[in-house]
Amino acid sequence: MEIAYFLGCIMNNRYPGIEKATRMLFDKLDIELKDMEGASCCPAPGVFGSFDQTTWATIAARNIAIAEEMGADIMTECNGCFGSLRECNDLLLENEAKKDEINGILAETTDKQFKGEIKVRHFAEILYNDVGLDKIAENFTKNLNLNVAVHYGCHFLKPTAEVGIEESAENPTILDELVEITGAKSVPYDNKMMCCGAGGGLRARDIDVTLSFTKEKLDAMKAAGVDAIVNVCPFCHLQFDVGQKEVNEKYGTDFAFPVFHLAQLYGLAMGLEPEELTLGAQVIDATPAIEKINQ
Amino acid sequence: MSVLERLKSLISGTKEDLDKNIPKETDPIEPVEPVSDAKQTSSEEEIEIESDSETDSVEETSVEVPVEEEEITPVEAEAPIEPKEAEEETEEVEAEAEEVEEETVEVEAEAEEAEAEEVSVEEDTEEVSAEEAVEEVPEEEVSLEEDEELDEEDYLEEEEEESLDEDDLEENEESDNMTLLNENDIYSMDDIDAEFKQKFLDAGIETVDHCFQCGTCGGTCPSGRRTPYRVRQIVRKCLLGLKDEVISDPALWMCTTCYTCQERCPRSVKIVDIIKMARNVAAHAGYMAPAHKATGSFVVKTGHGVPINDATKALRKEIGLDEVPPTTHAFPEALEEVQKICQACEFDKLIGFNMETGELE
Repeated sequence: MEIAYFLGCIMNNRYPGIEKATRMLFDKLDIELKDMEGASCCPAPGVFGSFDQTTWATIAARNIAIAEEMGADIMTECNGCFGSLRECNDLLLENEAKKDEINGILAETTDKQFKGEIKVRHFAEILYNDVGLDKIAENFTKNLNLNVAVHYGCHFLKPTAEVGIEESAENPTILDELVEITGAKSVPYDNKMMCCGAGGGLRARDIDVTLSFTKEKLDAMKAAGVDAIVNVCPFCHLQFDVGQKEVNEKYGTDFAFPVFHLAQLYGLAMGLEPEELTLGAQVIDATPAIEKINQ
Repeated sequence: MSVLERLKSLISGTKEDLDKNIPKETDPIEPVEPVSDAKQTSSEEEIEIESDSETDSVEETSVEVPVEEEEITPVEAEAPIEPKEAEEETEEVEAEAEEVEEETVEVEAEAEEAEAEEVSVEEDTEEVSAEEAVEEVPEEEVSLEEDEELDEEDYLEEEEEESLDEDDLEENEESDNMTLLNENDIYSMDDIDAEFKQKFLDAGIETVDHCFQCGTCGGTCPSGRRTPYRVRQIVRKCLLGLKDEVISDPALWMCTTCYTCQERCPRSVKIVDIIKMARNVAAHAGYMAPAHKATGSFVVKTGHGVPINDATKALRKEIGLDEVPPTTHAFPEALEEVQKICQACEFDKLIGFNMETGELE
């Protein structure tokens, strides 16, 4: 199996440990991750999607066209990239006029065309549906005895009518199942399906509102008594990592939940060192969780 | 929920939300007057609270519009209060609210009365014709509002002189003439831009037409819980073609595109698409936050909204990844393509990015 590996921005440019763990995992699973050379920002839905639909769709279509030339479906580990690329793929598949318009611009500016030949898929969904829980777990050497707050984020499952990974986003289980094969326990908490607050351009636009979202989530996680936060989106990851410190500064709180992308959690379960997962470079110290695992 | 608790939430909820909002309005990001925004904010807060208790089920626009308008008066009364003072007072208001709770006998009696009235109104509405129901609504509102006003008044008297506006309001409510009508705030055909609605239809978001204003979206919106963002109203205004009002409202940018509203919409309205389209129109009319322009400029400059930096390069190298990822960062010709796309779509002009200097203007 071959997959066009879409890196996006935040994962590879801020949290490369996520990329490292993913490459190692897929190597073990015998799935080839092929680089999408020259891929760009998805582009960011909050600015490009909100400012100019045509620019947004053309840059997204260019990325999709790179994967089409490789003859492989796209995999992304970012809910935002997934949302942007999937939405554009669907839009151009459904709307012939829009497709012609975008292809017109692509013809003017690149040697690429959107053909509508591939799917845009999320890392967690590929693991769940194509690999399967048992086969993933075969690669684990360490039992992660952690209580974690699973954060789904928004664009992984929603809008469910268009994404189709789960029928409803009210009480999904896919991510909890993926987390629990590591031995970690997914602890229920209030507002589990709520947004981290960073999306839609809000983090850039009004950090106070964003942090108020994040604090509500963190309060609920604290009440549930978790050891760490697990996510499947580098932007949510950044919001819980950088944003957690910002919440503490703004509200005088002392939240200190280590933050793991699912790929990093799998990295720990595969026995990778925290340094290989660039956990030491994250804002929130992951040591308490690592020590609990090593007990 | 007990009557008492409900009353408590009515009292503390309004004041708290109001106070939270005031400082934000004074910190405008967009070229929109903060005062007009504050106006909208609190008027909407009050509408939400009232809709708990009575006959919001009357679904005619003609009913809704006057309700919004009349609520604007008390808000203007709030405007002169200095944001800082308002903030400091929050705690005291809460304490006040608790005190009120302790006066159990009186409050309870009042509350029971209020609820009894509510029930009868609700029952009536089903049988009575729409017009008659409308007549009853304002009365009910006033009685509820008076409770709140009184509490607010108490603390205002202690803390500072009451503003004139508030006095006026009080008089107005108590006089025989019950109207809170503000002639200047009635929508007219001049406010309607038919092309604005058409934009949504042309973009394939014809579900904007399916909305029956149930309010599920607003009730479920995490942003609406803490900001003046009122998604139901925006959808309604888009449908009505109230372009200027929609695009000039900074609250339009408070949506995180979390899709909770869309998931729960009983009419499957593509709400997030509507918001994004409205933002497109707003952006093209010049309503763009500098921080958003900056993110846009990063993509034009580097191909990435969050470009690589030296620290991450070093990290990547340390863990055995390519120092520079195989993206536009590693392929200058790919970056050139992205830049050409931005120019062809005039995105550079939209955000005021000068391709020659490589900076925002």
